[in-house]
Amino acid sequence: MTLSLVLSLLALALVRGTPILLAALGGVLSERAGIVNIALEGEMTAGAFAAALLSYFTRDPWIGAIGGVAVGAAVGFALGFAATRWRVDQIVAGMGINLICTGGAAFGLIYVFNQAGVTPQVPAINQALWPMVVLGIALAAALQWAIARTPIGLRLRACGENPHAARAAGIDPLAVRLYASAIAGGLAGLGGVFLALGELNLYSDGMIAGRGFIALAAVIFGRWTPIGAAGVALIFGLLEALQFALQGNIAWLPSDFLQALPYIAALLALLGASGRYRPPAAEGKPYP
Amino acid sequence: MLDDVDLTCEAGEIHALVGENGAGKSTLAAIAAGEIAADAGTIERSGRIGLVHQHFALIDRLRVWENVVLGHEPQRGGTIDRGAACAFVRELGERYGLEVDPEAVVETLPVGIRQRVELLRELARDPGILILDEPTAALSPSEVERLFGTIALLTQRGVGVLVITHKLDEVFAHARRVTVLRRGRVVEERPISATTREQVARAMIGGEIPAIPEREPTHGAIAVRVSGLAVPGAIENLSLQIAAGEILGIAGVEGNGQSALADALAGLTAYRGTIERPHSIGVIPQDRLLEAVIPNWSLLENVMLGRERATSAKASWRIDRAAARAQCAAIVERFDVRAASIDATLSTLSGGNQQKLVVGRALVDNPAFVIAYNPTRGIDIGATATVHTELLAARNRGAAILLISFELDELFALSDRILVMTRGALRGEFSERRFDREAIGRLMVSA
Repeated sequence: MTLSLVLSLLALALVRGTPILLAALGGVLSERAGIVNIALEGEMTAGAFAAALLSYFTRDPWIGAIGGVAVGAAVGFALGFAATRWRVDQIVAGMGINLICTGGAAFGLIYVFNQAGVTPQVPAINQALWPMVVLGIALAAALQWAIARTPIGLRLRACGENPHAARAAGIDPLAVRLYASAIAGGLAGLGGVFLALGELNLYSDGMIAGRGFIALAAVIFGRWTPIGAAGVALIFGLLEALQFALQGNIAWLPSDFLQALPYIAALLALLGASGRYRPPAAEGKPYP
Repeated sequence: MLDDVDLTCEAGEIHALVGENGAGKSTLAAIAAGEIAADAGTIERSGRIGLVHQHFALIDRLRVWENVVLGHEPQRGGTIDRGAACAFVRELGERYGLEVDPEAVVETLPVGIRQRVELLRELARDPGILILDEPTAALSPSEVERLFGTIALLTQRGVGVLVITHKLDEVFAHARRVTVLRRGRVVEERPISATTREQVARAMIGGEIPAIPEREPTHGAIAVRVSGLAVPGAIENLSLQIAAGEILGIAGVEGNGQSALADALAGLTAYRGTIERPHSIGVIPQDRLLEAVIPNWSLLENVMLGRERATSAKASWRIDRAAARAQCAAIVERFDVRAASIDATLSTLSGGNQQKLVVGRALVDNPAFVIAYNPTRGIDIGATATVHTELLAARNRGAAILLISFELDELFALSDRILVMTRGALRGEFSERRFDREAIGRLMVSA
């Protein structure tokens, strides 16, 4: 294997890994605040679809990108609202959001574009692909620092570990969880924008393809730290890139197996991680 | 829960709030500290009211300094000034005799030190009144002395301290005033100098302390026979026998293999050696919340837990709910468990009432062998008397009872025979109720 081949493989790994990384950072944020976030998949879908839709109608991909992030944040806010104000079970709320978002996008395709499966081509921001990759890695470092060192980071952790103690210290755990969930949705939405407008120039059904759940695996395997989750997300990206590189080159290996590689890796990672890593103590528990 | 309660705590005084389990002491504290809202009434305060919880409300995985400064972090350029925070914790600790390593992670600290952290956290907010809810329940005697030393320093600085307790020794040794709460009402409020222990105790339980039943002579055959018992890391080659109708007390400092002994006898841990014991057994576990009950379940469900078949006379695939309800109601009645109903969630009960239910469940089927591990830890005079009465009644009926307790008074009151456990071995035998407090105490701390 030549050096240029290795470099192009690594470049592909960064591109494939970045949407997972962005969603995983959102997952870390909301889970450290105490909200289990299985809605990352739906938030990515909502972000990708909204970005394509807005870009199509405004012909301005930047409005599409900002809109995609905003819609992702709104979905995250809805999850946070259901989990905090209505005390809905967070897993159930997350599943519901995933179904609404994937179903809503499929419905929107037919309703708006009168065609199933895929939008027409829309203006994209392909030139911003690499800046977004860099932004993702920089965000991971910044969040790592903020969670460990800043007052808001300490308060976030307190809400995920023991919201009652946080309340006694004058912090409003409901507000912290709500905003953390909204920001998480925005980050996952940005992951969706990256796929729809950064890599491609359209939205198609199933384009998220479980990346939200892989991001969740990255959160757990990265031990709920931004740097850890980002690293694992990029490893999943590398596996996706490997799948591209190997496809057609190894005759005896079915391509279906290669395509399943990242998912199998996520499953194995979770098997290895289960029981060994401790999630935030109050994660998933409604407050008060 | 509470009805028309008036309470005043003055600056610089130690005020004791006493009452039985479920009298409403913790509820009153939570209302005063603003953690829960009252339906009616007013709270006037000069300065903040701080509350140190009975089950510490710390964030276990954060460091000491993080717990203390949470919500009012010292900052430098947008980040937390960790050095300043640690220095603050050290300085506060030195001022009040609460030395703790600020960098330690809370979950690695023993209970007594965790309480210091919780005190530091409240003191960091400069309270006018500090409420301590059962502060000595988990402390050793020397830690208790130290705590009251800290409290004295606080009162000298003009802080009013409200101590919630049911240990009358502490009330009469340290407090200036005492308020007695019974079933949600204030039944007595006096300066310590104008009352007596007997008067306060009567006010707490609303009558005389029930007398413990007579110890009937019992001469049973050996019911429990343990020989050559070994549990890795805890017990090596331990042998003991308990006769039917005998209470064998195990004295010792916590952590000398008592848990392993109880677990091996209950069949909860692997062991080497032989244990012969009756099939019918009742267990009062060491840790109520961890081993004895499911807090989110109702009283009824907790009483049935593990005894689903015992509630019904005929072996059946379904639970006889009517019989189970009748039996649960009988336990609630006989053991004076105070609950809204047998369908109430167990966690809504006070600790003492939960414990009475656990004891009732262990004894209701008249087991031939009972393991009682600290059966009255953290519960009040009335509940303790109930538990002691029932254990003696079980003995008089012919049950063999293993009583493991860290309180010598309890062992002396109940045991027919006492063995001392140190480092996984039994030494010293005090039989025929000839107990020598000093000799037992010496054996407990001998290496």
